[in-house]
Amino acid sequence: MTDISDTGGLRRPIDRSRLIYWGVAALTTVLVAGPIVPIILQAFLDKPLYDDSAAPTLGNFARLFSEPGMARVFFNTLYFGGLTMVIAQVFGAVMAVLVGRTNLPGRKWMGEIFIWPLFVSNLVMAFGWFTMYGPSGFMTLAAKTYLGAAPWNLYSVTGMGVVAGLSQAPLTYLMCLAAVTKADPQLEDAARSAGAGPFRALWSVTIPMIRPAVIYSAVLNFVVGIEMLAIPLLFGGPSGIQTVTTFLYDKGINAAVRPEYGIVGAAAIILLVIVAFLVWLQGYLMQGAGRFVTVRGKASRPSTLDLGAWRWVAFAGVFAFIALTIIAVFGGIFIRSAVTFLTPLIPFWKVLTPGNFELIFGSSTYVRSIVNSVVVSGVGAALGTFFIAVIALIARRSDFRYRRPLEYVALFPRSLPGIIAGLGFFYAVITLPGAELIRGTIAVLILAFMVRYIPVGFGAIAPALAQIGEELDRGARISGADWWTTVTRIILPILKPALFSCYALLFIHFFKEYVTAAFLYQPGSEIIGTTMLQLVAQGDNGPVSALATIQVLITAAFVLLARRLLGAKIYG
Amino acid sequence: MADLVLENLTIKYGGVTAVENLNIHVASGEFLTLLGPSGCGKSTSLFAVAGLNHATSGIIRVGDKVLFDGNARNTVPPERRNIGLVFQSYALWPHKTVAENLAFPLHLRKIGRAERDERIKEALGLVEMLPYADRYPFELSGGQQQRVALARALVYRPPLLLLDEPLSNLDAKLRERARVWLRELQERLKVTTIYVTHDQAEALAVSDRIAVMSMGRMRQLGSPRDIYERPADSFVADFIGSSNFLPGRMIENGTDHATVELIDGTRLQTAPGRAATDGTLTVAVRPERIEVVTAEGPNTLAVDVQQKVYLGSVWQYVVTAGAMEFRIQTTFEIDAPRILVRIPPEHCAVFAEKPN
Repeated sequence: MTDISDTGGLRRPIDRSRLIYWGVAALTTVLVAGPIVPIILQAFLDKPLYDDSAAPTLGNFARLFSEPGMARVFFNTLYFGGLTMVIAQVFGAVMAVLVGRTNLPGRKWMGEIFIWPLFVSNLVMAFGWFTMYGPSGFMTLAAKTYLGAAPWNLYSVTGMGVVAGLSQAPLTYLMCLAAVTKADPQLEDAARSAGAGPFRALWSVTIPMIRPAVIYSAVLNFVVGIEMLAIPLLFGGPSGIQTVTTFLYDKGINAAVRPEYGIVGAAAIILLVIVAFLVWLQGYLMQGAGRFVTVRGKASRPSTLDLGAWRWVAFAGVFAFIALTIIAVFGGIFIRSAVTFLTPLIPFWKVLTPGNFELIFGSSTYVRSIVNSVVVSGVGAALGTFFIAVIALIARRSDFRYRRPLEYVALFPRSLPGIIAGLGFFYAVITLPGAELIRGTIAVLILAFMVRYIPVGFGAIAPALAQIGEELDRGARISGADWWTTVTRIILPILKPALFSCYALLFIHFFKEYVTAAFLYQPGSEIIGTTMLQLVAQGDNGPVSALATIQVLITAAFVLLARRLLGAKIYG
Repeated sequence: MADLVLENLTIKYGGVTAVENLNIHVASGEFLTLLGPSGCGKSTSLFAVAGLNHATSGIIRVGDKVLFDGNARNTVPPERRNIGLVFQSYALWPHKTVAENLAFPLHLRKIGRAERDERIKEALGLVEMLPYADRYPFELSGGQQQRVALARALVYRPPLLLLDEPLSNLDAKLRERARVWLRELQERLKVTTIYVTHDQAEALAVSDRIAVMSMGRMRQLGSPRDIYERPADSFVADFIGSSNFLPGRMIENGTDHATVELIDGTRLQTAPGRAATDGTLTVAVRPERIEVVTAEGPNTLAVDVQQKVYLGSVWQYVVTAGAMEFRIQTTFEIDAPRILVRIPPEHCAVFAEKPN
């Protein structure tokens, strides 16, 4: 090899990388703007979007505010969101410290159970709570029978907030757990050698360092609270309590018969603005979080705090909590699905019936909703993973001039509540020419879900991408690979574990989604979530339980498989 | 074989000029080192040649192929430059074996299987890594990874090889062996090579010529000997090896020598140089060039020994003459508190400014 000669370089007729940049940027922008633009337009038009004679107006907002009880609706929403946040933060953070840093007996399996609610929709959670703790729920009747009265009332804003908060606590738990277990133990050691006892070191050094995690998840849970549909719908509906989401849902669904587009658009804009502000606030509060960054190169295990005899007290408390709020709720759904009715007065094995499942599997509509859910999740998550991976690669690993704006656009759906995404896509498919091709099909569901969960997938891929040194790309480029060859042949293969995790996360989110689909499905494109909404409205509790059980079982099987076979990281 | 021409190469990031008006002609088969402290623009220049950084203006040409022309707004993307590049971190693709790492660039060049295997064997043989063809990068030591990275950069026979501090992640002993080996390989292949380092010993050992850079500008371009013996300015004198800087003023500046007066009144014969407009100057002289003598004569001065440090191969002393303080090195130990030293004229460089 004494002769190193110019091999003439490589020729490429067109610059496909640039085509991909622009194509993906355009597609992302259209998909994200797609549901938002029609809502904004509608909010300022006096007639439905598709009516050519519609003229601009501010009347919709005037009508909205003159609507009787509107102030109450907004107050309910904020109170519900706030309570959701407080409950979730308190229980999540305490649980994180107990599991992450103490010798609480059984902390490992109790921690696992604690995050179950994350895997299912809050529709399922709401129904489980309804089954056990509702006015005629199992636990309520048991309390009334044996104690004389049940000291809780789910059909109040406070009751709703408690249920929502407990359903969201795992989110806080996971973020705080990461913070307490990754905290550099040397910092605590330093406090110990400065004279602090073990509790004092934990309290004064480590607990303050989970502040970013607490703030971040607090805003997130507040947002989840104010955009949540299922719990206000199930518990607020019967007692006439409305939040912005249930208001949008009722008016939006009824919009087919009574043209209330304008007022719905106006309410949606207000919700959108509030959520966008909160997401901005979250970013603002997280500025300067660098002083809390404690993760250093050296990996070491934080020591666990010995609770002494108190650990059994803590165990009793945590176990009772998990048994009553998680195991009982899930168990209630399972048992309810197999009985004709559920009451503490009759042992459930005396009323066992396969009827609920027979009903589900006997109906082509219900079976189709299960099949659709699996297809939407399986196919949608794959498409979504690929799409999000390409966005992340362009945003983080290309010389595309607009890569920063592309990332902003792609992450915007964080501020897009599911109900608004659904409503917006609904407007888009009825007004855009050519959209009738996908109207009422599962394709539009996949698109809407993908848009809604770009930030979730991005969050799974971007940190892994940051771990891959840029020299690997550069090495490939200088070896003769263009951008597209570099990312497909070098970066994506290395990124495989993160792609699997992204796929698994998207699958779970798609599979439990119902809000976004509420406005978009038509006969033929039902999914489990929409069918459950329908059945709940009809009061068919047996089939709802059966469907919820099927959803939980499929999710559990998927999580197990994804963790075992793909090594996907799903919530820890 | 190709030469590399950089003409008025300027690289700006926003308002910051990282590299300014760099002019270098690297001859075909030459081994040229870009040397300078971190942040001097040496790696930036290297990556601009590779096309991985965007130059702002100027021309980059390899052989008769123009890779960048600021006026014509013409940039060849990195993948079409056909340049070999070895990264500081080696950048071996972790999901590919050694052989697959080498195969990738050949695959991109649509080279057939038989020739591909032949070339991989040849390149791995060259760096003595043939037995490791089926290993993954994480199964190799740092030195082995470095050699694979070199093989990967050479396997497609580029006319130009760029090395970005390739030895800086090796331990000291291995680094010394590797640089000898690297230079031998380069001489054998006669590939035009640009080498970036901040290690002056490495630069002096391997280079045909060295370009010393500081703050985006080239301060001196010359052979290792030129750079060390005849630094062009006080920065180079200070950065390469180490120098004492003695303040003084110009008495007489001739064609073959100059006479300067140091601040303690000592008159020195020196090589000709330049003084500032007010006549002040600084004399640069290396500690190891100052001789300890027994008899007074031209260029001698009496100094007090203030501090003695044992460095293993030499002794180093901090000495003072009046208000002047400087270092000298000897191979033997001195016990006397006051000694006589001679500053040889041929080892004195005269500059108008002190290094900053």
